[in-house]
Amino acid sequence: MMKEKRELVSVPGKWDISFNYAAGKTVSHFLAQIRDNGRILGMKCAKCHRVMVPPRSFCERCFVPAEDWVELGDEGVVEAFTIVHDVFEGSPPPPYAIAYVKLDGADTALANFVDGLDLSDISEATQRLKIGARVKVEFASRREGRITDFKYRIIG
Amino acid sequence: MDRRVAIVGIGQTRYETGKTESLDEIAFEAASKALADAGITRDEVDNVVIAASDQLDGRPISSMTLACPAGGYLKDEVKASDDGTLAVVLACLRLLSGVFHTSLVVSWCKCSEVPTAKVTNLSFDPFFHRDLGLNHINALSFQVNSYLSRYPISEWVPAKIVVKNRANAMGNPYAHLVEEVSLEEVVQSPIVCPPLRQLHLPLECDGACALVLTTRERVRLTTQKPVWISGLGWAMDSYYLGERDLHQLSSVAKAARQAYQRAGIKKPIDEIDVAEINELSAYHEIMAYEALDFCTPGEGYKLVEEGSTELTGKIPVNPSGGALAASPLFAAGLVRIAEAALQVRGDAGERQVTGVRTALAASCYGICAQGSSVFILSQES
Repeated sequence: MMKEKRELVSVPGKWDISFNYAAGKTVSHFLAQIRDNGRILGMKCAKCHRVMVPPRSFCERCFVPAEDWVELGDEGVVEAFTIVHDVFEGSPPPPYAIAYVKLDGADTALANFVDGLDLSDISEATQRLKIGARVKVEFASRREGRITDFKYRIIG
Repeated sequence: MDRRVAIVGIGQTRYETGKTESLDEIAFEAASKALADAGITRDEVDNVVIAASDQLDGRPISSMTLACPAGGYLKDEVKASDDGTLAVVLACLRLLSGVFHTSLVVSWCKCSEVPTAKVTNLSFDPFFHRDLGLNHINALSFQVNSYLSRYPISEWVPAKIVVKNRANAMGNPYAHLVEEVSLEEVVQSPIVCPPLRQLHLPLECDGACALVLTTRERVRLTTQKPVWISGLGWAMDSYYLGERDLHQLSSVAKAARQAYQRAGIKKPIDEIDVAEINELSAYHEIMAYEALDFCTPGEGYKLVEEGSTELTGKIPVNPSGGALAASPLFAAGLVRIAEAALQVRGDAGERQVTGVRTALAASCYGICAQGSSVFILSQES
């Protein structure tokens, strides 16, 4: 019998599905306040008194509804950070830095990009972007009600 | 009712990148090997529990096409869209309910078919995090930087973990990367997100793993030495990283406490002979030592420096090479249970640790180990 050449086939696929995610009234108000007034709001749990940001309409720990809005400061402290030097599909072109910042008046940290750092020099960047560093919120002049309407900038 | 469950069959494919077999072929390979290992046929199985990711499989409700290749034809089948170890949790609960008697647990993943980081970016919520380009890898550095800010260990400590795991993998015929690396190669490997370098991270690959679990009454129907699940625990932390204590693996600590309590373990480092941990990075293996109470918080580096977790150490960790040598992402946790069970059976070949009576398997899953499960396996029931 003749030896048959076995071909191995793979078939390409691509998911192209549109979604429309409802934000709910709490997150909608939070995003609208960022867009319209350049204000960041937190949600306070009436039971444990934690001020949560991102805000939710309930406290997942106490498991009760939450409805007390609190205006947060436009400065805060870095709680955690990542500086990304590798290319990932679906992520921005590197390098970029993201920090979790506990804004003044909040009990939880909110993530966003950190601007104004020279990320090409890693040791220089990590000297400035470190846990405990103070940052200021800088809003974009044109805002669309998305988390990317602001970035953090290190002030000390 | 006798409330004990044993692992009586283990099946693994080779873990490698770019497998040319289809998903259903690798599911069938692992499942049929596990049945053969148990010395039973599919007829003796009354339920199939699978764990996989629809997004990574590229098939919504992937069990629709994969339940039968995994052994589920005209049988009760359920799926956890989560880490492979949760299929074991689910199977244990089903067997302990008394309704079922023998479970086939199967998990798989083919990382080479899809950009995994793009998929995990979609796991983040669309309002606050997805737009930032976060994924299962770049988020790890939040945790590692938080750990280092509190416990500033030298870069040679995680490098030793990589060298250990990669050297261990040389004895594992299923491992993807059977190539040793040096400390210098680790600390000079390309930076991904500081301090994490390429060699600190799991090697994502393709493969499937399967276990046969049964009750005490049915163990005699198999031909295999039973490995008893003497303790298990699982826990979930908050999704919001900004609410978590990122310097520690809280879910692992919670799951471990439950597992130790159920198994009656008081001093893990003295009572556990070997551990298999699904390390999300070399630094995470050190963090896991602390969460698993092998040492106090911040002292994980000492176990590494003393060589306590090397093959010949007091508590060898990842004799298989762990995820750093082969990680079929969603199935990687199940592989840890399979490897720990092989150690208890004394069937781990070149990677066998001597005198294993009790083994631990731990999995971390989700973004920055949001979830974890811990299993204690023993020779005796």
